[in-house]
Amino acid sequence: MQSIINSIFKNRKLIIYLFLSFITFNYLYNNSSVHYSGFGKTGTFISGSTSTIFSYINSYFNLRQENNRLIEENLELKKIESKFIDISGTKDIAEGKIDKTISAKVILNSINKSKNIIVINKGKLSGIQKEMGVISSKGVVGIIKNITSNYSSIISLLNTDLKINAILKESSTIGSLSWNGLDPRIVQLNDIPLSSSIKVGDTIVTGGMSFYFPKGIPIGKIEDYDNSSLEGYYSINVSIFNDFSSLSNLYVLERTDNDEIKSLLNE
Amino acid sequence: MNREVVKDIILSFIIVLSQLLIFNHMNLFGTLNTFIYVSLFILYKTSYDKTFLIVYGFIVGLIIDLSLQTYGVHTLASITVCYFRERIEKYSFGVNSILPLAMIRGTQITNRITFFLIIILLHSLIYFSLIFFNLEFTLTIFLYTLINAIVNFIIIWIISKLIFNK
Repeated sequence: MQSIINSIFKNRKLIIYLFLSFITFNYLYNNSSVHYSGFGKTGTFISGSTSTIFSYINSYFNLRQENNRLIEENLELKKIESKFIDISGTKDIAEGKIDKTISAKVILNSINKSKNIIVINKGKLSGIQKEMGVISSKGVVGIIKNITSNYSSIISLLNTDLKINAILKESSTIGSLSWNGLDPRIVQLNDIPLSSSIKVGDTIVTGGMSFYFPKGIPIGKIEDYDNSSLEGYYSINVSIFNDFSSLSNLYVLERTDNDEIKSLLNE
Repeated sequence: MNREVVKDIILSFIIVLSQLLIFNHMNLFGTLNTFIYVSLFILYKTSYDKTFLIVYGFIVGLIIDLSLQTYGVHTLASITVCYFRERIEKYSFGVNSILPLAMIRGTQITNRITFFLIIILLHSLIYFSLIFFNLEFTLTIFLYTLINAIVNFIIIWIISKLIFNK
């Protein structure tokens, strides 16, 4: 206590000066409009600056929630987008509506094998079934292979077992897409007859003639092609839009009319 | 000692009154103000209490503010000058110098000029900074401070000579 009193006494000049300055500033602030607005501006500047810094720091803590919110929003947009796919109109099974998209996160992924599998954190409990198509924001990823209660495995596009029905976006020429197991950025498009005209850079989208994907989901673009085959088909290399090494959020497509179509085929 | 104090109180009244009645109404060259009351803080005797000087500066500044409707600008300039006066003293006259009571007689003229100028410059700088209160007028503030300080210095120098040469 004595030391506090001593230190107050020692700094009495400063204390009196600050006290009187405070009174004067207060008097100035309350009576002079110039100073009032000047202090106001300074106050706004300080509060604005500190709030910006605070929100900048705070935004890092909310990234996970923000990410989830964006995924949900993306999902809604995908639903809306799916309504506009295939309005061009060939009567194929791809015209079936996508009733639901289920968002999922990749928990296991590989690109260095010939039969690559992706595992996601959603399973039977989330409504996932076998043979559902899986896409990302950039395009086709694969097809659901196995499911457990909470997890599902996906046959990746980078799996030599998978063949996907694909078309040239420009000419709608139908082909079949597969991977030769070599370069994870390049897949092969086969069965495009030499009679159709193609050029490097043409976009490849899903053809819709399968149970898995509706028509028009982007896959990639033509990297190069070889027309010297004697079989009458091009050998086309397609550079895929998806970067399979950095997949994170995926969407599983649910199509309710699949069962109906399958039952027709089985009859 | 008591006689000295009474004399100084009367002197303070005279200077403040002359500031209120005469110098407040003088605008040299249209814009320049003369603040002779700053001489009170310069001539405040070193033997008096230095803490009281701040309160003294507050009272004098407040009287001037009330008379000029400047809402505390003079008060703030005055208490700041009073607060820093001890340091300015040491800077101007040297740390170990034994100062005469009023610092007018028995000191080197260059030291005295430095002391007067620093106090007047500091006072003018704070005064004009608060009057303009806008960074856009920084150059104007410095210009007014300089010119005003020179004019005030001359007037306060003359006043100090008149008081102490009696």
